[in-house]
Amino acid sequence: MLVAGVDIGNNTIEVALAKVEENSTVFISSGIAATTGVKGTPSNITGIRMALEDALRKASIDMRSLDLIRLNEATPVISDMAMETITETIITESTMIGHNPSTPGGRGLGVGKTTLIFHLDKVKSGEKVIAIVPRNVDFEDAAIIINKAVSSGVRVEGAVVQKDDGVLISNRLKKKIPIVDEVAYIDKVPIGMPAAVEVAEQGYTIKTLSNPYGIATVFELSPEETKNIVPVARALIGNRSAVVIRTPAGDVQERRIPAGSMVLYGEKGRTSVDLDEGAKEVMEELQRIYPLQDAQGTSGTNVGGLLAKIRSTMAELTGQKPEAIKIQDILAVDTLVQQKVKGGLANEFFAEDAVGLAAMVKSSRLPMEKVAKKVKEELSVPVHIAGVEANMAINGALTTPGTAKPLAVLDLGGGSVDAAFLTDDGKIKTVHMAGAGDMVNMLMGAELGITDKMLLEDIKCNPLAKVESLFSIRLEDHTVKFFDSPLDPKIYARVILLKDDGMIPLPGDMKLERIRTVRRETKEKVFVTNALRALEQVAPAGNIRLLDFVVLLGGSALDFEIPEMISDALANYGVVAGRGNIRGKEGPRNAVATGLVLSE
Amino acid sequence: MISTEALVDKVVNEVLRQLKSEGMTEKKDLKVSQINFSEIGPAKQGTIEDEVVVGISPAFGGHFQENIVGVPLKDILREVVAGISEEGLQFRILRINHTADVAFIAHTAAKLSGSGVGIGIQSRGTTVIHHKDLQPLNNLELFPQCPLMTLDTYRMIGKNAAKYAKGESPEPVPVVNDQMARPKYQAKAAVMHNFETKYVKTGVKPVELSFSFN
Repeated sequence: MLVAGVDIGNNTIEVALAKVEENSTVFISSGIAATTGVKGTPSNITGIRMALEDALRKASIDMRSLDLIRLNEATPVISDMAMETITETIITESTMIGHNPSTPGGRGLGVGKTTLIFHLDKVKSGEKVIAIVPRNVDFEDAAIIINKAVSSGVRVEGAVVQKDDGVLISNRLKKKIPIVDEVAYIDKVPIGMPAAVEVAEQGYTIKTLSNPYGIATVFELSPEETKNIVPVARALIGNRSAVVIRTPAGDVQERRIPAGSMVLYGEKGRTSVDLDEGAKEVMEELQRIYPLQDAQGTSGTNVGGLLAKIRSTMAELTGQKPEAIKIQDILAVDTLVQQKVKGGLANEFFAEDAVGLAAMVKSSRLPMEKVAKKVKEELSVPVHIAGVEANMAINGALTTPGTAKPLAVLDLGGGSVDAAFLTDDGKIKTVHMAGAGDMVNMLMGAELGITDKMLLEDIKCNPLAKVESLFSIRLEDHTVKFFDSPLDPKIYARVILLKDDGMIPLPGDMKLERIRTVRRETKEKVFVTNALRALEQVAPAGNIRLLDFVVLLGGSALDFEIPEMISDALANYGVVAGRGNIRGKEGPRNAVATGLVLSE
Repeated sequence: MISTEALVDKVVNEVLRQLKSEGMTEKKDLKVSQINFSEIGPAKQGTIEDEVVVGISPAFGGHFQENIVGVPLKDILREVVAGISEEGLQFRILRINHTADVAFIAHTAAKLSGSGVGIGIQSRGTTVIHHKDLQPLNNLELFPQCPLMTLDTYRMIGKNAAKYAKGESPEPVPVVNDQMARPKYQAKAAVMHNFETKYVKTGVKPVELSFSFN
């Protein structure tokens, strides 16, 4: 009898094809296709047909000779996510925070009154000024004017320049002054106000203006005023250059945006937590009342909107009322988002705190019968709904060489991280955690400021390298790889992704180290956190140490570093963890499909 | 292949920026002054790594003083070297005598450059950023539509070449594309190129030139 096991997942549909006889099962081939439509809906049929055809083609078998299709009873888990910024920085004309031009001129600290370069000749001798140089002044003219003013006794202490001319002007000055350039909206700089310009040596960061007492010294501030400029100083930490202007009303505010609060209903009671208190607080509260029975967001707030959206999607799918849908897990992650500074003078960006949130819903049952009926009609092959996804996954996982009962599996997917534990006596316990591959993409996108989804997926899945010459690249582990023929000049000097089908250059001035750090941190925050959370739920007595083997399954287990991160984290508990190898050859994929064939 | 969404975003912003800045009268009166080059001697192989070599075509600053749309060549050269200086690198200017082909001019400059990065500029304004390890007809960045290039573009070309020499990853200089540029200027470009080729001295080695601002 020719049997096909079909596993409908959130992102992919997998097929295992086998000849099942009285007492032997011989696997013939496997197939894979992208999931069409939402998992568990009749629109999946296109994907099912494609995955089946993929497997049948590999075995050169016609669809008509198929005797039976076994569908899984898909766990109706749907997750969704959103992100909310919880801080906001607003500047009112006093400083340029987040502005860090690559090539400022000169070095040192200069303090004086802001003065347009055209008016330098009217300044009294001995007076301290900061020259403001707009775009229409050429760098040679600017240098000449400043030199002339200095020789007539005006103390030009620093300059703020609109064009990228800092080094060019500095090279031509008799007396070296700090120069900050590339200030796009120079017309917004208030004139006649005390200001300080600081530029540090290459490789160093500024010292005075990033220190509240430094600014207080420069502008002779009172203790009360010093308190107010703390956000300014804080925002300037790590910059090579800075400008601070003291205006009567000038101010930098850091504001916490009310993102709304959540009420968590758990088995151990209920609690309320504000999202703007950060992810740690949310997760701690969740832990306190776990297992979660439902969560509600304050209506009219961002959290409220997010949770309502998940509820209505799920309600539509199952034909239940939105009120009947219960949110059963939440993962909150702290992150940083690159946001344009409001009121900035030079298109500055500043990293604001944000919280990313994934939520997961489990309904009683997805309408799998409808899907089964549709498949039967379209393909004229008998269809059985064979079993619960987790049980099938364990069945499949046990085909990995070297595994035995008791066994735990971790299914690392796109939408959720699922765990199942099979005890010695064949009992199975399962759990689903919100947040997986898709959440990693969202968090990386926010932190790196990338909106292109394809690019994010590529960054997540591939190691980086920097092209150092036309014949060599430096990989992210700092080793060098040489080439015999010159590389494509399009990737010269760029940070690239090492994909199977070639080297893909990344746009712009993204630094390799930064992308790598963000990528790894995000994966840790989502996958390692969820792996531990999930295993704690299924492990005997809630103790991960009591597990012996953990098999990693699912698309994200194919990642080049996630399995190692999880293995590493679990090694602390004395647990053997590794990527599954279904039927000794499929790798971590196809577990459920294989389990379906083996069922009964 | 990559980041189409981001690219579209960038192009739209660039167009908006240009629309906004139109009508702003910031232009300086450009005094057409002759370039006074003095030849220092035969071009040597560069030994310092922090330099970018600029190669100019045989008639640049000699027969021709302006590019195809009347921008003084002196200003073009000035912006290119200013871009290099702003990045903290040194520059050398060489007159390439043996060819008028911009790819070979740039490649010759790159080969003589201590950093391996060179820029080639033709009298009509066409510019190439080159690297010594590349095939002559390949390039790091090519700017074929010279009628559309402004002095700002030339400044950015100098900056980018310097960044390549420093091993940084600059964003390629944005270029404007105009379908009408070719039919409009093709004849003039051909005539200019003919003149340029007239000054080619086969077998004569590149010569180093002195250049000072003003």
